[in-house]
Amino acid sequence: MTTNLVIAPVLVALVTAITCILVRFAPRVQRTCSLVGVVAYSATTFALLARVWPANTLAYQVGNWRAPYGITLVADPLSGFMLTMTAVVAPLTLVYSVRHLKAPGQRVSYHTLFHFLLVGSTGAFLTGDLFNLFVWFEVTLMASYGLVAFYSGRDGTLAATRYVVLNLVGSSLMLLAVGGLYGVTGTLNMADMARWLAAASPAEATPVLGLSLLLLAVFGLKAGLVPFQWWVPSAYAAAPAPAAAMLAGVAKKVGVYAVIRVGFVVFAAADPTFTLGGLAGDLLAAYGPVLFALAGASILVGGLAALDRPTFEETLAYSSIGQVGFIVLPLAVAAAVPDLRTVGVAAALVYALNHALAKPLLFLVGGLVEDAAGTTELDVLGGLAGRSPTLAGAFLVGGLSLVGIPPLAGFFGKLLVFRAAALGDATVALAVAVAGAVLTIAYVSRTWNRAFWGERTDVVASMGALDPVRLAVVVALAGCIVAVGVGFGPVYGFAEAAGHVATGPGRDAYVRAVLGGGVA
Amino acid sequence: MATFILGLPYDSNVQPTPDLWVLLALVGLPFAAAAATPLVARALGNRTAYYAAAVAAVCFGLVVTLAGTHGGAAVSWVGPLSVSLGFYVDGLATLVGALASGVGVLVFLYSAGYMRGEPGQPKYYATMLAFMGSMLGVVYAGDLVVLFCFWELTSVASFLLVGHYSDRRDSRYAARKAMLVTVGGGLFMLVGFVLLASTVGTYSLAAMLAEPAATRAAVERAGLLLPILSLVGIGAATKSAQVPFHVWLPDAMAAPTPVSAFLHSATMVKAGVFLLGRVRPILVGDHWTEIFVALGLCTMLVAAILAVCASELKELLAYSTVSHLGLIVAGFGFTGALGSETAVFHILNHAAFKAALFLVAGIVAHEAGTRAFDDLGGLRHDLPITAAVAVVAALGMGGVPPFNGFYSKELLFEASYEFAHHAGGLAWLAPVVAVVGSVFTLAYSLRFLAVFFGERPDTLGHVHRAPWSMTGPPVALAAIAGVIGLGGITAALGAPLAPVESFVGWVVGATLGPEAAGHAASFHYYLPTYVSPAVVMSALAIAGGIVCYLRWRTVRWATRGLLGALPVLRADGWYDGFVYGANHASTRVQRALWTGHLRTYAAWTFVGAVALAGFGYLATGIAVPTAGPTLGAGLTIILAVAAVAAVAAVRAPSHVAGVMALSVVGFAVTVFFVLASAPDVALTQVVVETVTFVVFLVILDKLPSYYGRIERSRAARDAVISVLVGGLVTVTTLVATDASPDAIATYFVENTVEQAGGHNIVNVILVDFRGLDTLGEISVVAMAAVTVLTLIVMRERGETP
Repeated sequence: MTTNLVIAPVLVALVTAITCILVRFAPRVQRTCSLVGVVAYSATTFALLARVWPANTLAYQVGNWRAPYGITLVADPLSGFMLTMTAVVAPLTLVYSVRHLKAPGQRVSYHTLFHFLLVGSTGAFLTGDLFNLFVWFEVTLMASYGLVAFYSGRDGTLAATRYVVLNLVGSSLMLLAVGGLYGVTGTLNMADMARWLAAASPAEATPVLGLSLLLLAVFGLKAGLVPFQWWVPSAYAAAPAPAAAMLAGVAKKVGVYAVIRVGFVVFAAADPTFTLGGLAGDLLAAYGPVLFALAGASILVGGLAALDRPTFEETLAYSSIGQVGFIVLPLAVAAAVPDLRTVGVAAALVYALNHALAKPLLFLVGGLVEDAAGTTELDVLGGLAGRSPTLAGAFLVGGLSLVGIPPLAGFFGKLLVFRAAALGDATVALAVAVAGAVLTIAYVSRTWNRAFWGERTDVVASMGALDPVRLAVVVALAGCIVAVGVGFGPVYGFAEAAGHVATGPGRDAYVRAVLGGGVA
Repeated sequence: MATFILGLPYDSNVQPTPDLWVLLALVGLPFAAAAATPLVARALGNRTAYYAAAVAAVCFGLVVTLAGTHGGAAVSWVGPLSVSLGFYVDGLATLVGALASGVGVLVFLYSAGYMRGEPGQPKYYATMLAFMGSMLGVVYAGDLVVLFCFWELTSVASFLLVGHYSDRRDSRYAARKAMLVTVGGGLFMLVGFVLLASTVGTYSLAAMLAEPAATRAAVERAGLLLPILSLVGIGAATKSAQVPFHVWLPDAMAAPTPVSAFLHSATMVKAGVFLLGRVRPILVGDHWTEIFVALGLCTMLVAAILAVCASELKELLAYSTVSHLGLIVAGFGFTGALGSETAVFHILNHAAFKAALFLVAGIVAHEAGTRAFDDLGGLRHDLPITAAVAVVAALGMGGVPPFNGFYSKELLFEASYEFAHHAGGLAWLAPVVAVVGSVFTLAYSLRFLAVFFGERPDTLGHVHRAPWSMTGPPVALAAIAGVIGLGGITAALGAPLAPVESFVGWVVGATLGPEAAGHAASFHYYLPTYVSPAVVMSALAIAGGIVCYLRWRTVRWATRGLLGALPVLRADGWYDGFVYGANHASTRVQRALWTGHLRTYAAWTFVGAVALAGFGYLATGIAVPTAGPTLGAGLTIILAVAAVAAVAAVRAPSHVAGVMALSVVGFAVTVFFVLASAPDVALTQVVVETVTFVVFLVILDKLPSYYGRIERSRAARDAVISVLVGGLVTVTTLVATDASPDAIATYFVENTVEQAGGHNIVNVILVDFRGLDTLGEISVVAMAAVTVLTLIVMRERGETP
């Protein structure tokens, strides 16, 4: 069975990105190429998913250099889950973008950057090589930078500068960590590194914990976790609405994915090596408190900061710091309690899926409001619900999904986070999660009250008609959120299969698939 | 409502199991009807109310067909989590289900008059129907997840309905308050459910109720009884507006009156007490009694006092509802069957008289144009039918025999007396509080009635007769209340109202703990014909209530004084304190963290990374190799130059000097590469250094040529951080270069020429072995170029979003 399909999504996005530069003087052709490209991207992703489903691991050795000497791309249920998420959000967002951005902006670079963002995140989801992961991070970073700076106004440039400087700090730290890991383990291939760690003596493996935590800091930076969250609010607020949707929905998840892939699949292979204070156990046992600290601080800081922001998208931007905290919280439990690896990772993935649908929806609603009313200041908005019940309904679905109201996708996210914490006897984690959820109710209801209810202000009264296509995109995302919640059975099955990678047998299958050079 | 239950086989031991399809239809129909409402409303206009009433009537019919069945029915939903779309039918579900649909019919009919001509009717009816479906879902849920689903949906529906007049600030405030309290409380409940399910191994409520003793034993073994009890209790207390979560209910009166009658007296707020009845067989015990008797009686008393202080009709009714919910909670709190009888019977009675009173208040407000007590009086001439309804309902609320509320209150007195008699000590507070609470209850009930009697104030203008669609529903409710009341008289004469008695008995059976599971459904109520402690307590309460009413001004002065002295009773403080405090904290957190200074962000990013990696290094106790490689003289000089230049770069007085110093460091590194026999890398480095130097100089021209003064403390902080980062890099490098694993490098050395056909290993790695990396990096460079183009093009356009 050939595994060429594994690289297809990357190639499709790459070819589309390049084509969009080449045809940029024929805007209509460019838009068509871009849309066809994103559809092809989703199609190849789903085709790949069909091959991976329900529990296959496909390894593609780039250039036919066998692992661990070349670069391996690996598709398994975990990467399949992330790719599927991307393949749903990306086409909808692109359709929205085509209607949202003015023609010159689209022509000069938007489509190229959009597809390069897909290239970067897809590569990161698929790669089985640590240095290659660094490269895809760079691709994502540069594309994001371009998108944040897109409007090139004062805010955009400033936000983009912050974004790029902080992320380059992250890049240099990552380079240090990857170099260190290569020096210690002698390999860059993740499967090979897992194999090495499993066989290494404790003395040989001592530096690995520190190096892996340095990597974790970088992943935390990408995911926007406290204390690496600085770049998030201004970048999301400055980027065009659909770009912010992609950054929050997809690019941010790359960091979370990397924590799972590298932390739970590779480093978890290390033998018990560490004792400190009362803690002892395998390498992941040290991840427990660290991840908990990052997640807990993010939930509280993000949730609290989102509560009193002046604009729509700032509220959403701060909110996403807290929401990523919710994604990571079950990972902390999973790290600390070996029996809960599958449960915790599945919970994180489901929550990530919820955030990947709800947050883009909300950003896109914000974009529509901005476009029609010319502002998203909560002080001057009011009475939007009467103006456009459809828009209000979509916002309500997205907002309530963030809160965790059933039967929306977010409910199962919350349920699984609570469940992981309860099974792990993590009382403090439960308390933090509940506090964060209460803050979520507070800022969602505040935004609703101030923007959608209230007397119709002049700005809202003089709003033009909303673009039906963009409205349809927003409604489609709301439909996805409802569908995931109502038909949660198979979604959870998928998440659980993906979470299985974090267990011993799951890791063995992964390592076999990669180093065996073919299909497991 | 009492008549439909004639002749159903409650007493039979063999009750058929319910049909899943009927349950799905019952819960699904209101949602489907809600979805269709916008279209229907376009066709029917003001008559949409009748459509909604018809839907509610069908639901009521389905509830009736389900009455008499018992047990669960489920289809799988999320298999691996053992979550199913499960339903469960028993007496309790039938009671509250009948209320939700039966009161629904009446409220929708009433709405036809009340909402006539109001804007936003499609939204109103759709939300009301969806609410009814959610309520039925809560009631018939046989799975904790399903119960929670519908539970939260009732909160969302309530949010939307309370905010119906969304232009008004108080509506929005009230809606958000209701949402924060009830949905927030729901989260606690969810945690309780998750703990319960994790202990028992299933989310199926039907399975837990089938084996209540075993379920309880499992929970106790896990040591989770008290946590689960408290968490589920918080959920119930927020929903049923128990102290101190009662803050949201009076504000929720900003909703249209039919909403208040339906959600905030008859049904949604009953969800909390319903939940207590639902889990009572599993969790009842000593902790249970302590918590819920205290909570319920405290709420009953505090809210009764607050009701006395109320200045308008709906506010009085709202606090009164809180007070009566407290009574029901306390009833469920008592361990035995008597407590359950109190609670169940009062759920029924309260729904009848309180919904009627809300509708009465709506009529008064609608026709007289005001709800303030000071502006109202003598309305019996203008609204005779409404006045008659008010008499029956208000005396029921006040617990005056032979009206319906009297009997359930009598049961409370009996239960609290027995409890105190049994437990002794502090437990004697229970009957005392119950009596004192009842004194205030009668007092405010009479005050409510006074609106219809006495002098008609001159300020009151012409009062219209209410249309039949508005008087009909309260008449029906009052008739039910009246019939239940008369049943007590006939029972005392030897002819009890058998259907009501057997129905209530059946419901009570569903809420008993395992030890009382054999308790036959033998519920009786009657007008007492002999003197018992409960009768004495009733007499005291009634006498006290009448005295209080006669001394109304004094009592109100005293209670308002009490409130003034103890504002904590109103408890609004904690909610506002929470919301404003959180807003304030939000601003402070945001300002403190996001200073807008990139250097601060970068500093903390470094600190975070150093902390994480440092924790890792310390935890495993890495051995840093001390015997470094010996440097030759040339290398030592070069590195010394680099070090000096680095210090100079930090201390440079101007940008230009700093950049010059920095490039000295860069060129020193170049020399280092040359000495380390890596000429190609050195060449690259030269190019990079040269280009950056030139670019820097070009840019510096645009920047201010001076540095701002840096504070000493910040300089010190930055120095510490840079030393830490330097330390991290040094340690990492030493550790990494010290290890000598079996590296993949060997393979490259051996295979480059033979397999890849190249002699420069670095180049072969870049373009062949790891060509994909290079492709990625080329993309980065291309994007950088595209971004520069974007910045230039877009800036010239001056485009904003």
